[in-house]
Amino acid sequence: MLSPPPGALSSLISTRHEYDHLFGIYVPIAIGVFLTILLVVVGAVVIFHRRPPERAARWHENNPVEGTYALVLACVAAFLLYLTFSAEHKVDTVANQQHPSVVVFVTAAKWEWTFRYPGYGFSVRSGTVGRQPLVVPAGEPVRFMLTSDDVIHALWIPAVRYKHDAIPGSTQIVTLSFSTGVFDGHCAEFCGLRHSDMVFTVHAVRPASFAAWARSKGTAAVP
Amino acid sequence: MSVATAPRARLARRGGWPEALTSTDHKQIGLNLGACSLFFFLLGGVFALILRTQLAQSNMQVLSDNSYNEIFTMHGSTMIYLFVTPMAVAMATYLVPLQIGAVRLSAPRLSLAGFWTWLAGGLVMESSWLTADGAGRTGWSSYVPMSNSTNTPGVGQDLWVIGVILVALGLTAMSICVTVTVARRRAPGMALLRMPVFTWTALLSVLMIVAAFPMLILAMTLLFIDRTGAGHIYTGFAGAIDYQDLFWFFGHPVVYVMFFPYLGGAAEAVAVNAHKRWFGYTAFVVSIMMFSALSMAVWSHHMYTTGGVTNQYFAFTSTLLLVPAGIEYFDMIGTLIGGAIVLRASMLFALTFFLQFLVGGLSGVFVASPVLDYHAYGTYIVVAHFHYTLFAGSIFGFFAAAYHWFPKLTGALLREGLGKLQLAVMVIGTNLTFFPMFFLGNDGMPRRVSRYPTHPEWGTLNLLETIGAGIIALGVLIFLINVIVSLRRRIVAGDDPWLGHTLEWATTSPPPPLNFEAPLPPVRSYAPLLDLREQQLDRERRLEGAPA
Repeated sequence: MLSPPPGALSSLISTRHEYDHLFGIYVPIAIGVFLTILLVVVGAVVIFHRRPPERAARWHENNPVEGTYALVLACVAAFLLYLTFSAEHKVDTVANQQHPSVVVFVTAAKWEWTFRYPGYGFSVRSGTVGRQPLVVPAGEPVRFMLTSDDVIHALWIPAVRYKHDAIPGSTQIVTLSFSTGVFDGHCAEFCGLRHSDMVFTVHAVRPASFAAWARSKGTAAVP
Repeated sequence: MSVATAPRARLARRGGWPEALTSTDHKQIGLNLGACSLFFFLLGGVFALILRTQLAQSNMQVLSDNSYNEIFTMHGSTMIYLFVTPMAVAMATYLVPLQIGAVRLSAPRLSLAGFWTWLAGGLVMESSWLTADGAGRTGWSSYVPMSNSTNTPGVGQDLWVIGVILVALGLTAMSICVTVTVARRRAPGMALLRMPVFTWTALLSVLMIVAAFPMLILAMTLLFIDRTGAGHIYTGFAGAIDYQDLFWFFGHPVVYVMFFPYLGGAAEAVAVNAHKRWFGYTAFVVSIMMFSALSMAVWSHHMYTTGGVTNQYFAFTSTLLLVPAGIEYFDMIGTLIGGAIVLRASMLFALTFFLQFLVGGLSGVFVASPVLDYHAYGTYIVVAHFHYTLFAGSIFGFFAAAYHWFPKLTGALLREGLGKLQLAVMVIGTNLTFFPMFFLGNDGMPRRVSRYPTHPEWGTLNLLETIGAGIIALGVLIFLINVIVSLRRRIVAGDDPWLGHTLEWATTSPPPPLNFEAPLPPVRSYAPLLDLREQQLDRERRLEGAPA
């Protein structure tokens, strides 16, 4: 269970990578559009202001041009959707089909997180009850089974650019991967009085270190 | 002018307050609703300043956690239910009959009852502050199970729910009146495709209210039944998702309700101040119809992270919104090019509306992508996004409309100098407040927290935002001073101070009880007064022997 199958690393799906990839396309387009429109508006105002009203042009429609323009916009929408759907398929579908190296059951409750490692028979807790870290192996798929005991919470790890709701009455499955490091995590769905304190820390460590940590914490042996 | 205003001034004084508050004149109802909305705007603004004070540094301890939750809930609720939406309805109620040449509103008593129901709802909602358990405190969207009686007990939260129901009922009633007026009271010649741009945006807004607000009434009524303990309606996973579906089926169309009339107001200001009719009228009308239709089909883009909806479908409809939005910008630019532009305060606010809203719109395309929204949802990225649409957008559109139509409402001009000063102050304050939020959100700051980790940049950015909020408050103060000064020391506006395009400028300022005393000019396009001026100009040119 601990050793990834050959080639797993190359096909590892990183939510961070997918986010950065889309961000790198969406944001430059947005900045380009903003600057273009800003420039055109300022230019038009500079050129056409302080003319007498009777000099204003009377043309006010050009449907072929607008139709062509709408078609260009539709193509932009199609292009963005193609990128988004490709990325979403990886994050939501392919990742959950991968064989995980570890499964963590996450139970959110006001105002704490319980991370249970069923493979090792122990749990750690974070939030208003303390700050035990969520430890995961880096570079391998980690499966989270999310649920909540009371209200809706959301597990958010900004460093991997991903969050998902924990909703009472359901268990939601997400698969994430991490590079080594220490990351902050927050509850990202408003959950009442001490929502601000519903925080945790992720320690993503080398798989060998993870195995050692889990064995030392766990009361049950690795199956 | 002075001859025309004298008898009306007497009429207004005849009954005083009781008459003003029970009048079935659409102009008086619109003014009442607008004035009350403006009061709630100031209240919601005070809440915002308190929030920003708490957030100036990582752990300010100005507010307890509970108070913070109450204030952010009431900030959002007050702004959305009691200011931006009702102000849109107020503008529609006042202006639409005038723009289509109607002498009165259809079913004016229903509209009056709607106003009072809305006001009662607002007062019930704010009265939750007076209860022992405190005000509503589960956000303006009040998700279940957070908002049920187990997790949020108390009369204050009940009052919040009842308040929302009354507000929705009132605004729905008022919207029905505007819709029927457009259907039945258009002047001769005023075909649907000759209605002014503002009237179209207002009509689509009230239609969206009529279609979507009943869903809010339903969602909140079921929540109230659950809170009394009589029902077990929103239970388990399905209950949580059902509530969000019902809520956002209202909650997304209302986003466009809070956008369209301000867009229409800014569009009228741009066209009039460019002395050129709005470019691409037909494409514009089709595009805002497409906008409205899509607005009813994008609601679950608020629910990408729930695992309970089909994300691809909602990503498809949401991304498609960039097509009608792009057409609006094209039409705005088409109106500017070739125009004879005058940079009055109304024009500057309108252009700023378009440019700042663009930041909200482009970030909207960003959060429409599920993969990007998995990170952005529930964070300050989203807070920045919707404040750029609602504040940097709609509120600037509101001020454009205010500077444009104030002379029509009161007969007096607002001071241009103060208007331009207000604009400069508000542009600085707005961008200082909301732009850093994009960085904070991307860096990991969730929304609706009263405390945050002590990263050094986070403290700096949050402090800048708090300073920005204070500057915005200064801008709003300048507006209030401008209104008071302009009403006390009146500069008489006359019927048509801007060379307006539409019928409201063909009557006196303010208009008489039955709106038009002189015969209406012929309506042959969506800019009937501009038509008259162009004909006049052509005649003069022919007489001079110059080529027309």
